[in-house]
Amino acid sequence: MEQDVNINFFKPVGDFMKKDVAMKKKLILVWFFATYGFLFLLKLVADPNDVVELTLSTGEVITQVTGKSFLTETQFLGFPFHWWYSAQFLILLFIGLCYIYCKFIDKLEAEHGK
Amino acid sequence: MKRIIQWGMSLFFVLMASNAFAVADLNPEGKFKVIPAIMMISLLVLFVMVGVFSKAKDTEDYWAAGRGVGQIGGGMAIASNWMSAASYLGMAGLIYLKGYFAISYVLGWTGGYVLLLVLMAGQVRRYGKYTAPDFVGDRYYSTTARLMSALIVILISFVYAVGQYKGIGMMFNWIFGINYQTSVIVGTAVVLTYVLISGMLGATKNMQVQYVVIVITFFLPLFFIASKLGYFSAVPQIGYGAAVWDIGHAEHGISAAAAEPSYYLPFAKYTMYHWFALCMTLMLGTAGLPHVIGRFYVVPRVSDARWQVVWGLFCIALVYWTAPCYASFAKFSNLLGTAGTITPDAIVVNAAELAGLPEWFAGFLAAGGVSAAFSTVGGLLMAGSSAFAHDIYFRVMNPNATEESKMKVARIGTIILGVSIVIVALNPPALIAQITAVAFALGGNTFFPLFLLGLWWSRTTKEAAIVGMIVGLVVTFGSMLIPKASLLAYYIPFTSSTVVGAPLVILTMIIVSYMTPEPSAEIKTLLYKVHNDA
Repeated sequence: MEQDVNINFFKPVGDFMKKDVAMKKKLILVWFFATYGFLFLLKLVADPNDVVELTLSTGEVITQVTGKSFLTETQFLGFPFHWWYSAQFLILLFIGLCYIYCKFIDKLEAEHGK
Repeated sequence: MKRIIQWGMSLFFVLMASNAFAVADLNPEGKFKVIPAIMMISLLVLFVMVGVFSKAKDTEDYWAAGRGVGQIGGGMAIASNWMSAASYLGMAGLIYLKGYFAISYVLGWTGGYVLLLVLMAGQVRRYGKYTAPDFVGDRYYSTTARLMSALIVILISFVYAVGQYKGIGMMFNWIFGINYQTSVIVGTAVVLTYVLISGMLGATKNMQVQYVVIVITFFLPLFFIASKLGYFSAVPQIGYGAAVWDIGHAEHGISAAAAEPSYYLPFAKYTMYHWFALCMTLMLGTAGLPHVIGRFYVVPRVSDARWQVVWGLFCIALVYWTAPCYASFAKFSNLLGTAGTITPDAIVVNAAELAGLPEWFAGFLAAGGVSAAFSTVGGLLMAGSSAFAHDIYFRVMNPNATEESKMKVARIGTIILGVSIVIVALNPPALIAQITAVAFALGGNTFFPLFLLGLWWSRTTKEAAIVGMIVGLVVTFGSMLIPKASLLAYYIPFTSSTVVGAPLVILTMIIVSYMTPEPSAEIKTLLYKVHNDA
């Protein structure tokens, strides 16, 4: 029988690729939710009474929350917390994710004699 | 395909003519600043010297730097190749103008590396090609796809470099007191000279030197600015946090009338969607920039290719943690009422001036900004000219070309590219970081889907690749043509078109793949080996 040589991210073949892809999925999920989940959270917990009028490029004027909340009004290391989280912590997290993946894949490759 | 280039060119000329972003003269008195000038000139001499002493021997060297660069060294080269005038000058300018919204630039230009590492770096290295079009041509078994992707590489290099030239021009203008236009031309002449002399082997060594210069020049003045303004100055990257707080809360000497809460509040100036769209575009673009992907071919082992990304990201992070400091300190000084001119794209230099530091500090920063721009332009011209010489000339036009003639074509390509960029850069269409964002959108709309599907789904066909590239180009340049007031322009801003473009291209490619005959067993076997063999 001919070997199945099809590659599909969602149908990994072989032990190596299965483990590798499982790890990749986890890291991408963390990456996505840490970045954009937090953005959504900022909107979610924002003080509904603190609003601002914005003129969009379409000319339409909308009223939206400024995003003021306990996340922006708590000081951490002097920063408004959300600023510190985005401008400093997330970058550190990205480096951490890359580090974890490199460690993981080096080990996996060694186990599979690569 | 030529059409598309012409189309892109004429588009730029149209944008130029509108001239909404005329470059302000930073040095209206035409004063020649002696100490900054000496710094700048000695740096340039240093770069050229390093280039000369590590001259490229043959074409193999010229393109892939002999495939022998270490992990940390490679990381530094990735970082300096990466950090351009957009990171050094432009990012701080945008944060100054747009506050928290512009943090999406900081995150977009770092977070993309996670995707690049996890989804591409190792696999690309295992595939074992020289350039991005080489990969596209082989994986999609098509000369047309190879040609198109080579032209897109040239287009990306072109757009990206325009922003860099603007940075170089502005800094030369500030230092030497010659006008912006002359500065761009002088700067270009210097960049071209050293790229032509050194090739990429020299460029890799140069990049390490440049990285060190970038970090030192970027860090040093900050300690003094922080202490002058009365903030925690031992680690200004932490100390500026209080300045962000004070700007919004009228503390530390800022009057209640002058306070700007919109600086730190997340949605005070822009919508959540725009933050998301811009950040996503820059992230996907990062994973789809040919000159960044190209760096992985330089590495001898797959594992090294991956560790280089970690080191590269760390080296980049050092600068990205720092850029918002300049924006915030400049904002703070400005709100305090310190007199002085502010040009967003020169905010880093302005910050030092506003804090009342001696001129040579600002000179330091200007010199660093120029080296950031230089290292990136070097990498871009290299990527563009190798697409021309290797992928178009050697692979398609003249497969029997000798090493010598390839080398010659590469050099001619560099000159043509370098000079044509000047024409647009003389009258730049937008802010540095925005121009750069368009280059990212282009990468994210074309190469990101091509690599993603090419590496992870063996059913992707050559027809899908070709149609995908066309759709990607249409979305990128189409987004610039949409009238600003339309609803479509709201959802697809020209700096952030990838948020819509990449999913659209991926979907198109999947549909077209199912409609066209499967790739041959050979192609599939090769890909299978990339994922499963030693």
